[in-house]
Amino acid sequence: MMTALRLDLRRGRMLVLWIGLVSVLYAGIIVLFYPTILDNAAAFEDMMKVYPRELMAAFGIVGSLGNPGVFLNSYIFQFLWPLVAAIAGIFLATRVAVDADRGFLELPLSTRLPRLRYLTAAIASQVVAMAVLAAVTIAAIWAADLLIEPDFATERLVLAGGHAFAMGLAIAGPTTFLAVVLLDRGRAGGLAAGILIFMYLANIIAQLSPDLSWLANLSAFHYFDLKPLIDTGAYPVADSALYLAVAIGGWILALLAFRRRDLVA
Amino acid sequence: MTHAIEAVGLTKWYGKRRGILDVDFEVEEGEVFGFLGPNGAGKTTTIRLLLGFLRPTAGRATVLGHDAWTDAPAAHVRISFVSSEPGYLGELTAREQLDYMARLRGLPLGAWRPAAERLELDPTVPIRKLSRGNRQKVGVVQAFMGREPLLVMDEPTSGLDPLMQREFLKLVAEVRAEGRTVFLSSHNLPEVERACDRVGIIREGRLVSVSTVGDLQASHWRSVNLVLAAAPPPGTFDLPNVRIVAADARDVHLMVRGDVNPLLRRLATIDVRDVSIATLEIEDVFLGYYEGPSGSASAEPSAGAVSGADREHVAITTGEAQR
Repeated sequence: MMTALRLDLRRGRMLVLWIGLVSVLYAGIIVLFYPTILDNAAAFEDMMKVYPRELMAAFGIVGSLGNPGVFLNSYIFQFLWPLVAAIAGIFLATRVAVDADRGFLELPLSTRLPRLRYLTAAIASQVVAMAVLAAVTIAAIWAADLLIEPDFATERLVLAGGHAFAMGLAIAGPTTFLAVVLLDRGRAGGLAAGILIFMYLANIIAQLSPDLSWLANLSAFHYFDLKPLIDTGAYPVADSALYLAVAIGGWILALLAFRRRDLVA
Repeated sequence: MTHAIEAVGLTKWYGKRRGILDVDFEVEEGEVFGFLGPNGAGKTTTIRLLLGFLRPTAGRATVLGHDAWTDAPAAHVRISFVSSEPGYLGELTAREQLDYMARLRGLPLGAWRPAAERLELDPTVPIRKLSRGNRQKVGVVQAFMGREPLLVMDEPTSGLDPLMQREFLKLVAEVRAEGRTVFLSSHNLPEVERACDRVGIIREGRLVSVSTVGDLQASHWRSVNLVLAAAPPPGTFDLPNVRIVAADARDVHLMVRGDVNPLLRRLATIDVRDVSIATLEIEDVFLGYYEGPSGSASAEPSAGAVSGADREHVAITTGEAQR
């Protein structure tokens, strides 16, 4: 299995490198702007007043942007990280479908490597890649924070990285299941992206319309509010557990399906 | 002798689309078994069933004593497999790809070198830069780099040049000499005739024949085109296994079935300017199998199956024929 895992990690490194680079640059630059936002908080708040309060809330901007939790949550955790996690999760989790389509899958699976170990190696590579992306994003925030005043609490950033990691896995797990069932990257990736977009919109609609607030419960983004963690250090244990349960559930279903299904789309 | 492969009533439907239907055959240990059929006949489906990549709709297959579906990994330990279009990773070099497969098969790194040298494969080139023929070489090297008792190969020579095809046949002969078993899928009739002991012929998902190569050669027709110096004397081609398809003064088109020696002896008695003998393409052989009542295979191929399909020409100069 280690042979398969090593190759999987090698195949994923360019994707991780490029997404990680974008993440580092974006997160780093945004953090470097924090003192400017802090110095001009009143002006920013006046500007924000132009927009409806509900709309701001829908995008996670509740309170002053000078507040560290609101700032990081709005610009990085509610915007950058969902994109990073979705792109990486979908690309990595649908690789099994690509391999089936191109005929690569038959090569390792014609050897002594059982199907379950092959897919377990693929899942392990998803976990490693998501951990690396979460780590470099948090590291970029931390490194940029060294250059500015005031400082963000490092341990809270690390905890935020943990929750972001769990959220990424929650995308990868079910997407792996879709990829195994459909054995078609286009359809599996499209379906996963469609579901994520629906969830994102559902979360916004739920905050704009009190009558539809129940929609928020269906959205993965509803459980990704890191403002309290950054501001008070309260880790969202239940939300992280939910993400991990979804991820593990998706992978278990994927392994069960992969064990029994035909290896042609 | 025990069976290396046994298929009993093996059937696969992809939804409403036919894969293979009620296929029965056995491959003995130590034999080279050719699996012949045109594109879409069901060769690859059969191989995928034998390797446990597909679940049979009905019937079963055992490979080296293991159920092909429920016990596939145990069988795979003793199988070397190459697919017709291996989806190698373009970013890897041939060396990296082959080492990857070697590790998964429990072989030492570099186990592929002897076969790669024989097939003149440059292992340092990234696979995306290799021509189709060279990619196919990677597959052949992969198939022959181990010592597994069973080699399963799905059209391994498509894209190889004639020299490499010849080297491939030598490798198959060596494997047979070592007592290992080969299951060779192909749509190349001459290749199967040269490499195999027995041949199964599949068409439209059904196994229509399993015979020895000798029987196959005796039963199918070759096309013979002659250019003569003068019109032949009457009765020149009156032989039991020869039919005249067309005769226009000095140009004669014959069909000969099985042994060509009686016809060659007759040709030596007349002044032949040119002669070509073409082995029928597999499609022509199949047309022969299906010339009978619609939907049923006739007992044997007929001369009427000749078509203009590509043929392997064995050109013999007039002088050589007369000698």
